Parts: sequence; structure tokens; C-alpha cells
Amino acid sequence: MAFDSVFFNEFSDAWSRRDGYRLARTLSPEVSAEELKTIYNSTNAHDIKSSVRRGLQGNAALVVGIARDEINAARESDGGNDSESPQLVWTKVFEAWTDVLNQLLRGYQNHGFEAWTIPCLYIVCKNLRAFAIKADDERNSSSVEDTTANNLQDDFDPDTNKNQKLEECARTLSRVFMICQTDRAPIEESRKWGSYYIANLLLKTYFKLNSASLSKNILNSLRASGRDMPDFSAFPKSQRVTFKYHEGVLAFLEENYVQAETCLTEAWDLCHKDAVRNKERILTYLIPCHLINNHTLPTKKLLEPYPRLQKLFLPLCQCIKRGELHKFDLALQEGEDEFVKRRIYLTLERGRDIALRNLLRKVFIARGFEEAKPGEKPVRRTRVPVAEFAAAISLGSEEKIDNDEVECLLANMIYKGHMKGYISRQHGMVVLSKSGAFPGTGV
Amino acid sequence: MASQKKDDKPTAESKPEAPATEQQRKPASLEEDDEFEDFPVEGLFSPFRHWDQEETEAGAGAGDATQHLWEESWDDDDTSDDFSTQLKEELKKVEAARKR
Repeated sequence: MAFDSVFFNEFSDAWSRRDGYRLARTLSPEVSAEELKTIYNSTNAHDIKSSVRRGLQGNAALVVGIARDEINAARESDGGNDSESPQLVWTKVFEAWTDVLNQLLRGYQNHGFEAWTIPCLYIVCKNLRAFAIKADDERNSSSVEDTTANNLQDDFDPDTNKNQKLEECARTLSRVFMICQTDRAPIEESRKWGSYYIANLLLKTYFKLNSASLSKNILNSLRASGRDMPDFSAFPKSQRVTFKYHEGVLAFLEENYVQAETCLTEAWDLCHKDAVRNKERILTYLIPCHLINNHTLPTKKLLEPYPRLQKLFLPLCQCIKRGELHKFDLALQEGEDEFVKRRIYLTLERGRDIALRNLLRKVFIARGFEEAKPGEKPVRRTRVPVAEFAAAISLGSEEKIDNDEVECLLANMIYKGHMKGYISRQHGMVVLSKSGAFPGTGV
Repeated sequence: MASQKKDDKPTAESKPEAPATEQQRKPASLEEDDEFEDFPVEGLFSPFRHWDQEETEAGAGAGDATQHLWEESWDDDDTSDDFSTQLKEELKKVEAARKR
């Protein structure tokens, strides 16, 4: 009966202190192996049921007990290698846990569970998602046919069901999100306080499912209810960082780099300084944003703690800085798989313009100054032969680039405002502006 | 998720060829790679879930200015590298050809 006493004492204690986070812990399936053993040995489903009834008013805990039992079973089979039962254990756990969540939701909808108990929702939702992923993994790696889903399908596409449980989980979570969002209780005791935590779980889930459009819905819904929501700054930093990260990445994917930079910078500033992996993820998108928006690169100091980012970005950064166009192309090719996987390839490709700008700038500087008249400031030689630019552009590459193409590249640079001047075709010259030939770069 | 990590442990420990299994798992964990993690200090039940301003990236770096994080994309000082030398030679060649 160890389970009973520990569990209920903790539950009623947390309840009487109105400590939502402690209460939530009693609903967590993350029980130590030691505890699990005691529970497993000391009780059975029937015992749990009756003792829960004795101890509690809420029927949620009852389901928790049963679900825990299932998890218990799952753990057992996971640990032991006998694998005599090739059933989909995690699917069962997921289903049982969906029941737990439904019971809990009923509590909120029908029995007036108070806002301080919201952490219970957090912990149950978070685990639902974890179980869904486990269930999908298990099903995909096992040969057991899931007969429930595949009946009556003419067309067989192995990918349709790959994320079956996670999709189910997403639908459930979006229901939870609505239940939080639509609460009309006064702000202090509103379930709206749960909105961002659940939104974050949903965003993570949608990201995994690759459905950016659904993520947009969440953002829109939060934006629409903006005035009725508690102020964003009143939410815990952990929730704000996670939310801003996802909001930023979404803007990034829509090529709205200005907004992306704003969101990601906010996430970066608020992020816990020791959360290295998360900071690394933020920077993965913030670095390309800076490159596009401000034409700036990360310093060595910034990248120092992140060997992975160094490997990812340093070669490119060095090529951009030196204007090594050909090597830039090679570096981009080299990292293509990694860049594509992180969905930053197309953005980084646009860094080629900056590399080109820096190369042309070097040519301009190398030409030095006009012979200075006494008493006057030296003036740079602003007439640059197209042939010099052409030589610089094809430097390092085997291929010879023809003049039309060079002129096209130059015209583009002028059009994009990276370079000020005009091309004089009959002289084969580029005439650059005397005041700021390369705007924003000091020359 | 913490629950998954817990599960992984016993299997890894019980097998003598643990490193091999870990390598096999890598492709799977790469996908996970992209996912924003729960904050370790947050721990949902931890009293640190609302960390202080001093513990944020911005707060911690308040002493040394944040400007040091980003630098301009060109570098005028770094002119001794192979590429710069090559470029200069190439430009000289072009100029010489023009004068001929």
C-alpha cells in the first residue's frame, strides 16, 4: 500500500496548499524505477480504483492510476528483452493517457477546476505528446500491422500513417488550446494563463509534422485575443523564449527576416544563459537573419561555445568576409545537406551577394588613390575597368566567366544598392560614386 | 522528453556494446535535434522556472556590451591571406594587359 499513502498524501497536501506544480507532479508518469516496483508489487488495478475512490473526489486520478499501470507494463516490456508479446504497447499507453487528459478536461469544462491547477494540464499534455511519439516510433519500427487504421484503404502510402498518433495528439492539444483560450473567467483565475504553454507544445508538434500553416493558426488566434490575454511579459520566461523562438522561425520560413530577427533576438535575450542547446538553435536562425538584414556576421566570441555552429557557419563566414566567391560556392555545397535540413540553405545562398560586394570592394580599394593635389584629401580612383571585376569574380574558379555575365552581376549589385555607380559599356568601365561607392562599408 | 531518456538508460547499460547502439540511434536523434528543448532548469516543478533577469543571456552579458556579438562582414585588416595576394596579382596582370 506504499503507493496509496505516498501518492495520496502528496496529492491532498498539494491540493490543500493550492500548489499547482506540486499537484501536477502527482499526475506525472515519471516515477522512479524504485517507486514503480513498489507500486507494481503492492497493488493491482482494482486496488488502485477502490483506493482512489476512497481518497479522492476527482475521478481524474483514477484514470491516472490505470494509465500508470499501463505505463508500468510498457516499461516492463521495454526493459525486458523477451518480447513475447509483439503488441504495440506504447499505442496502448497513448490511448490510456488520452483518457487521462479527457478526464482532466472534463474537470475543467464541467466541474470548475480552478486556474491554479493548470500545471496538471501541462504535465498531462506534455506526456501525451511524448507517448504519441513513442507510439509512432514503435509502430513504424515493428512489423505488427495496425489493423485499426489500415482497413478498407485502396491506396497504400506508407507515409500517411507515419505520424498517426502524433497527429491525433495535435488535434487533442488544439482542443486543449481552445479550452484555455476561450475561458471567460476574470484574468486572475483564467485558464488563459495556460495558453502559451499549450501553444508551445502545439507549435513543437506542428513543426515535427511539418505543417507551418497550422502553426500560423495558433499565432493568429493568440494575436486575435491579444487584448483579453494577460500581458505577454507576465508569462514565465521559459514559455516566452520557447514561443518567440517558434514565432521567429515561422517568420524566417516566410522570408520575413526583419520580424524573424526581432522575435529571435527577444528569445535570445530572455533565454537562460546555461541553456546552450537552445541558444544554439536560436542562433541557427538568427545568424542568417543578421546576414540578410544587417550584413553582419557572428564574431568568434559569439560562436566560441558552439562547436556545431562553428562547423556550420565559419567556412561560409570567412568566404563572405574575404570575398572568396568560388570558395563560398564550395562551402555552400559542402554544407548543403545540413543547411537544407535546417531550412536555412536558401537564406544563406543570398549571402553570396555580400561575398560579391566584399570582393568588388576589395578591387576598388586595391586601385588606390588618384594623385593627390597638395592640400586636398586623397580621392579614390573611382573608374574601375570591368575586366578587373571580371578577373576578380572568376578568380579561383576554373571556368572563365564572360563579360555579359559580369556586367549582369554588376548591374544587380547596383540595383540592390550594394554598390553606387554606373556601367559605361563603350569604355568597358564602371564609374563608381565618389561619396560612398559601397554604402555602409566606409568607402 | 525525460521519460524517454529514462528508458534509454537501462538498455544502454545492460548491453556491453553500448557505443555501437548509440551510434545506431544517431539518425533517429538527429531529427530530434531540431526541436526546442524544455529548459533543464525549468523542470516544471522546480522553483527556478521563473529565472531572474541576471540569468538571462541579455542580463548575464550586460557587463560586456552586446556589440561584440556581431561584426561587419568585411575585413580590411586581413589582407595577407592567400586569396588577397592572389587577387592583387591577378589585378596587376589585368592592368598590365590593358596598358599593352
